[in-house]
Amino acid sequence: MSTPETATGAFAIVPRTGRARAAWQSLRIVPLLEPRQTVSRAMRATVYLSALFLAGVLSVALLVWAGVPAGDLWRELSSVAFNSPRALASVLAQTAPLVVAGLATSIAFRVGFWNIGIEGQMILGAVLATAVAVYDIGPEPLRLPLMALAACLGGMAWIAGPGWLKARLSMSEVITTLLLNYVAFNLLLHLLYGPWQDPASRFPHSEQFAAAERLPRLGWQNLTWSVPLAAGLALALWWVMSKSRLGYLLDLLRHNRHMAHALGVPVAGISIAAVLGSGAVGGLAGFTIVAGIESRLTQDFFVGYLFSGILIAFLARNNPVGVVVAAFFLATLMMLGQSLQVFFGIPFALIRLIQAIFIISVAGSEFFLGYRMHWRRAA
Amino acid sequence: MGSMRMRGIDKSFGGFKALDKVDFEARPGEVHALLGENGAGKSTLMSVACGLYAPDSGEIEVDGRPVQIDGARRAVELGIGIVHQHSRLVEAFTVRDNLALFNPGRPVDDVMRDAQAAARDLGFEIAPGRLAGQLGVADQQRLEILKVIVSGARLVILDEPTAILSDAEGAMLMELVRRLAQSGRAVVLVTHKLHEALAHSDRITVMRGGKRVAEALPQDMTPQTLTHLIVGANVAEAFIPSGAVGAPVLWLENVFVPGEGRQRGLAGASLSLKAGEIYGVAGVSGNGQAELAAVICGIGTPTQGRIMMADRGDITHQGPADRRRQGLAAIPADRYRHALAGSASVADNFAVPGALAGAYGPWAWFNRGIMRRQTRDAIARNDVQGVRSTGQPASLLSGGNAQKLVIAREFQGKPRVVLAHSPSRGLDVRAAAAVHDRLRQARDAGAAVIVISEDLDEILLLSDRIGVLNAGRIAAEFDAPADRAAIGAAMVHHEHA
Repeated sequence: MSTPETATGAFAIVPRTGRARAAWQSLRIVPLLEPRQTVSRAMRATVYLSALFLAGVLSVALLVWAGVPAGDLWRELSSVAFNSPRALASVLAQTAPLVVAGLATSIAFRVGFWNIGIEGQMILGAVLATAVAVYDIGPEPLRLPLMALAACLGGMAWIAGPGWLKARLSMSEVITTLLLNYVAFNLLLHLLYGPWQDPASRFPHSEQFAAAERLPRLGWQNLTWSVPLAAGLALALWWVMSKSRLGYLLDLLRHNRHMAHALGVPVAGISIAAVLGSGAVGGLAGFTIVAGIESRLTQDFFVGYLFSGILIAFLARNNPVGVVVAAFFLATLMMLGQSLQVFFGIPFALIRLIQAIFIISVAGSEFFLGYRMHWRRAA
Repeated sequence: MGSMRMRGIDKSFGGFKALDKVDFEARPGEVHALLGENGAGKSTLMSVACGLYAPDSGEIEVDGRPVQIDGARRAVELGIGIVHQHSRLVEAFTVRDNLALFNPGRPVDDVMRDAQAAARDLGFEIAPGRLAGQLGVADQQRLEILKVIVSGARLVILDEPTAILSDAEGAMLMELVRRLAQSGRAVVLVTHKLHEALAHSDRITVMRGGKRVAEALPQDMTPQTLTHLIVGANVAEAFIPSGAVGAPVLWLENVFVPGEGRQRGLAGASLSLKAGEIYGVAGVSGNGQAELAAVICGIGTPTQGRIMMADRGDITHQGPADRRRQGLAAIPADRYRHALAGSASVADNFAVPGALAGAYGPWAWFNRGIMRRQTRDAIARNDVQGVRSTGQPASLLSGGNAQKLVIAREFQGKPRVVLAHSPSRGLDVRAAAAVHDRLRQARDAGAAVIVISEDLDEILLLSDRIGVLNAGRIAAEFDAPADRAAIGAAMVHHEHA
């Protein structure tokens, strides 16, 4: 064969015959993927922001296609999040439990423990906190701290089993944490249709918490202390992750546990601490909702937080500050979804689709961090 | 068939010129040795040949036709196969699945038949059902070589193939390399071992600093002229005996450890390490080396026997943390598994012992400023080259510099016991000499040093006393200067009994 060999690109549809083939070859540009040696911080930020931008453009296009006029879209968005203090307050109220759930997920993910049981941990946390409220345990001024503590213990208890099973029997935590969600849910139903059923209304939820058992109001709009609680927790975890020795060792574990073990890092202890910490914060997420929003134990207060927690942890790259930003973004999106649903008849599934677009864009952008494209004309 | 010609290949990474107008030619039926230090550009050139890197400029011809090798798959189509220095196997797959994966579209039974035949030629058996991740490093490499051969490569590139093999295995591999060439294939042997190039190649290309400095025939070269070409200067290393051997510091009493898979493990190993002495452990790979290193580090636990430390008593059941507090330093064989976290920064890798000891502040406050400063100082003191910033991932360091980073960390305190397992594996002459120097310094400062190596030259060069590890126990001990032939006999004695 006398013609030069040419490369076969993944997307090339090559004409088979003479002139067309020659013309095609003179035009064809072939990408070569080359692994990157280093990725600068600026490059990382650029790729990440481009992915978000692309996802935003796709989402807007989708909404416009679904029948929302582009101009109205912007007006809706700004009225949902930024126009009035009331709108902002309701977004923030949504944000707080999302932050706590996102933090819980990200702590476990940081050490490579795939905690898919946030909802179960939230339920147990809320159940134990409610127990403190229902049985009036401890003096009133200490009631809320006791409820929070009980919530932490509940979440920890619910994740301890999967943690132990993984450490001892290498059992996949994805399965065990996930299945324990259902166990927790049935426990919740048992309590709400049984001993804790509201005696006043006979509805399957607990009686309303007394004033001392609810997170107090901030005095601005309708916001409660759940907002500063979530912010404080995010700040504290940011400190632990980036300013403490524990944060350094957690990172080391993620990079190479064998090496950490060989150098005398207490790998087992640190992993256990992180896993239990994840469960504890998960329990707190449940507490934040029942004591801060619902004021009672309900049968569906936790719904959706498993998926949202994973989404937030992923978008934030497990960074506590990023969790706050991602949670705020998600809360805005949810409020926007509700208002679009009301005013334009957009199905809420479309909002889920938009969330998915953001995840896929960010996940896909990883590729451009790993590889560089060489565009070159085929010889 | 199987000929490849590269002309004027340029390749830069950022501002760094990795290849500078390099010419290279592989001819059918020939073993072409590509020699050079770490960082000379050998691996980069071969990565261009097998489609992993795009050259900035230059031309490549395969079988006389100009080609663009724009991906690993294209290289395989062109009959170019590479065996990388580090395993590229799917560890969670079986041997059979790894072979099938690399030969898509062919019936698995055919692939396995070819593989079994090729393996027999190589002189070993393969276990198709075993997981690749459970194989030892040597077996993994054999599988990689097999994988490429079975895929029908006509140009076979071997990147430092003997770096992780014992003498005997290496010799066996060289026989195979010769047979490959005789079958009409072109073979490129990337190496920094002079004797390998001189004894087993038909042509030698020497690279230094990204340039081709010479192409010559082995019969025209001597070890001296080659060394000079490779490093641009002469490096000579000689055995230096210990000045003062002290009392035993750490000793093993009749230690048993079950081996993993088909490995033998330890079966009644007893040895004693003395202050101010380098104890070399010679032996054919797979006779308990990995297990010996593991029990000394505290990663592995004996099922029988004791490990004792002077004025600490029985330390058999202590983990790595306790052992390190008592003055253990370790240079493990598998650098990016037990010594360094490749994706973590140079500073993060260096700082582990300091962080655990609280050198960068209490638990609540980890002072990264101090950590970076100490890392910079240590890097300068230990001559770790190629660190542009302390935040750069450790995996970007060359083998020699990565090893220097490990040594910088491990020798910070004054170690009482130093374990070095294959400390110069994958290093060039100059880097190996630097590592050996540091081991001697530690010994002269009073540490008990144990060197486990399958490279007998290295053992002879370093050791004041030599123990031969055979079938999981120390079969014989020799004082320096030892008789090489006697050690060799002890290494293989009773091996098949």
